[in-house]
Amino acid sequence: MNKLIALTLVGAAATAQAADFKLPAFETARLPNGLTVYMMERHEVPLISVRAVVKAGAVNDGQQPGLANLTGDAILLGSLTHNKAAIDEAFDFRGGVLSGGSGTEQSTVQANFAQKDIPVLLPLFAELVQQPSFDAKELDKLRGRKMNVLRQAKESPRQVAGTYYRAMLFGGAAYGNPPGGTVNSLGALKQDDVQGFYQHYFRPDNAAIIVVGDFDPKAMRQQVETLFGQWHAEGPAPQRADYGQVHADKSRVWLVNKSDAIETTFLIGGPGIARNDPDYVPLQVLNTILGGRFTSWLNDELRTNTGLTYGASSAFSPLSQTGTFSISSFTALPKTEAALDLAHKTYERLWDKGIDKATLESAKAYVKGQFPPRFETSEQLAALLGDMYALGVSRDQIDNFMRDVDSLTPERARLLVEKHFPRKNLQTVLVGKAESIRQIAQKYGEVTELEITADGFQPKP
Amino acid sequence: MKWRLLAASVAYAAASYAQAALTADQVKSFTLPNGMKFIVLESSAIPNANMYTFWKVGSRNEAPGITGLSHFFEHMMFNGSRHYGPKMFDRTMEAKGGANNAYTNSDVTVYQDWFPASALETVFKLEGDRIASLSIDPKMVESERGVVLSERSTGLENSNVRMLMQDLNSVAFTAHPYAIPTIGWESDIKSWNQKDLETYFHTYYTPNNAVAVIVGDVKVDNVKQLATKYFGSIPKRPVPPAVRTKEPEQKGERRLFIAKASASAPNVMVAYKVPEANHPDYYALDVLQSLLADGKTSRLYKALVDTQISNSVSAFSTDGFDPGLLYFYTVSAGNVGADKIEEALLAAIDKVIKDGVTEEELQKVKNAKLLNLYRAQETINGKALQLGNHEVFFGDYRKMFDEPAQYEKLTVADIQNVAAKYLKKSQRTIGVLAAKEE
Repeated sequence: MNKLIALTLVGAAATAQAADFKLPAFETARLPNGLTVYMMERHEVPLISVRAVVKAGAVNDGQQPGLANLTGDAILLGSLTHNKAAIDEAFDFRGGVLSGGSGTEQSTVQANFAQKDIPVLLPLFAELVQQPSFDAKELDKLRGRKMNVLRQAKESPRQVAGTYYRAMLFGGAAYGNPPGGTVNSLGALKQDDVQGFYQHYFRPDNAAIIVVGDFDPKAMRQQVETLFGQWHAEGPAPQRADYGQVHADKSRVWLVNKSDAIETTFLIGGPGIARNDPDYVPLQVLNTILGGRFTSWLNDELRTNTGLTYGASSAFSPLSQTGTFSISSFTALPKTEAALDLAHKTYERLWDKGIDKATLESAKAYVKGQFPPRFETSEQLAALLGDMYALGVSRDQIDNFMRDVDSLTPERARLLVEKHFPRKNLQTVLVGKAESIRQIAQKYGEVTELEITADGFQPKP
Repeated sequence: MKWRLLAASVAYAAASYAQAALTADQVKSFTLPNGMKFIVLESSAIPNANMYTFWKVGSRNEAPGITGLSHFFEHMMFNGSRHYGPKMFDRTMEAKGGANNAYTNSDVTVYQDWFPASALETVFKLEGDRIASLSIDPKMVESERGVVLSERSTGLENSNVRMLMQDLNSVAFTAHPYAIPTIGWESDIKSWNQKDLETYFHTYYTPNNAVAVIVGDVKVDNVKQLATKYFGSIPKRPVPPAVRTKEPEQKGERRLFIAKASASAPNVMVAYKVPEANHPDYYALDVLQSLLADGKTSRLYKALVDTQISNSVSAFSTDGFDPGLLYFYTVSAGNVGADKIEEALLAAIDKVIKDGVTEEELQKVKNAKLLNLYRAQETINGKALQLGNHEVFFGDYRKMFDEPAQYEKLTVADIQNVAAKYLKKSQRTIGVLAAKEE
């Protein structure tokens, strides 16, 4: 039982509190085969984090939702030389952790293990990345498990509300693809599909190897070259396409019926910004005020003042080309209308009253103060380097963090609110008991009803 | 299979990492005259610090009528004190760059502050004020009641494991208050009153019932000076009354069933009675738990998930002052019945009792324990949590530094012995959650 569910400040900007905190030094290299390599030394504990980051994800699924995600997980099913059991034993028996997977725009293979095991485990990691076996029997088992996970996720509105929201905002465009696919789409995927996806996207000129932790840089450079230098790409590198824009020409509501729901889970919002938007950092500050911390307006109104919910928040969810913005919360079924109305009213404060200087200064201090622990562990730093590679997060955004936070004035805040927070044509997802909240839903736009138990995340055609 | 052979030869002598590891002499502690204990670790990797305050009060201190009060109190601690009215605790801390949260379980209530080290004095001032003179504003009590009701219902809406565990506890314990759900029963959440709250604060929030841990870019002398200034004058009150009730011996297997229409697959939870944290069998049981359920090479993963009858399996336990439970939880692979996954789970456990475990398996878990210790020590929060838990549940934060040695000395016989001693049919409670009762 916690005071609060962690509010997600979506990937708040990376950087340094100039005087106080520096991002540890790291080196970047490019091997002749096109592979990008990042290395960052840290010696606090005798561990290293290694990850391969590939620019491939659900946006590349095409007509096969879940293909990237299944491929990302299937990498771990063994290499051409070592089967799954041998790989799992090698890592488990040394206290190592091997994981991976694929999201919307990037796929990763990650390992965390003792420095002394580099000679044994790094070659195995390299094998998995470059010569996965996609063993038919294991792939079949994995696909079955993932289909069950998707079924079970729909028992929990919180786990699926965001997927419906993205599907609603982007419609049939690539960004609307459910990252994990659907039960039916996963069921149709074959070993050949996985193999084909891997061959198309997992290649040195579309990937980075990131090493963070306790290692000797000279020896590591050599090991990385030896282990990954022979990886070669065939044919032209995959090109980035247009993954779609938010569709918000009128107010719409998707009402997702969960017949035994005791509460209503909701998201309200519209278009947001790309991960590398020049306004990314100041928008983190503004969102902190609206819904990014405990005393934020949304949490203050919906939780502290009225007791309508355990937590209310808002967030920009940036992607590489664009992004979304949403307010989210949940409330007991009979309080649905009160909570939705108050969320809208509170959101309007951004324009009605605007942001005063004291609140802005407090949010600036908060964002700066909470920054250093975001980059405390090797895993966190490796993830940041991965985002720099896959999502194009520029070093500028990181280096100028302090300046961008400090220079934010109430006047500029007002301009940024006008420019970036969607005010008209809001899009709403409600997950709850439709027969009880159908009337309420109509207040917020044109309603489309979906059944949570139906396959996927789109309404019936 | 050369990796298997190599694995057996990699025993990780804890001593080989001694240079990199945190040592006991880096940690300082002091106790104020009013009995409030402070544990301090200077760590300057980031310019931040934390303060974790552990109060020895949780739902085990409750009784029918006031179930959930410890947790509700955790919420009320943010709702105003003498010098900081409602909302001012959070507003003041956030304006200085700090954030906070708190959690309550059956045994403890823990308040966590995370802040730039420069805000240390502000944090001490805020914490000192609410401990010295909390105000329990009736208006705040009412809105907070709604918040907690929402917290309760969102847990039940989104988590089968929460629902199953809550009901299982009330079957496994007939006398001891571990039967009480920490969030409280709905009717109690709606009914406790002002006097209940005042009595609770007075009884349990006395400085001699707390341990504060500060880790980060601070200086011990400064922490001591500020602790004296902001906590030193809080009066000491009697030590809270001990929990008297002891759970009588369980005389046979117990069962329960929960129907939840939207469950897409049966969920099975099996929980065995195990001793309190500060017990000689603690480390052997902890290794047994990991050996059974951690990772893809664990016994239960192989028996349930690899065979495709379950989709997932896990084990968990909570450190407690009194004998508690070791839980195993598995979710069926859809069309496989609860009886079948239960049978496979119990068979895997019985096999350990009958045939024991291998040297290789034991070494695997020992290696993982050591690496996980380092993973926890990568952050100031991991360090604070470990120090506080050891001080509170094991009686001395220094025991944290004995952990690698405690694991290292375990033998395969120790693991088989605790399996046979505790994972017995008569000592278990089995809960099933599914769409329909069979």
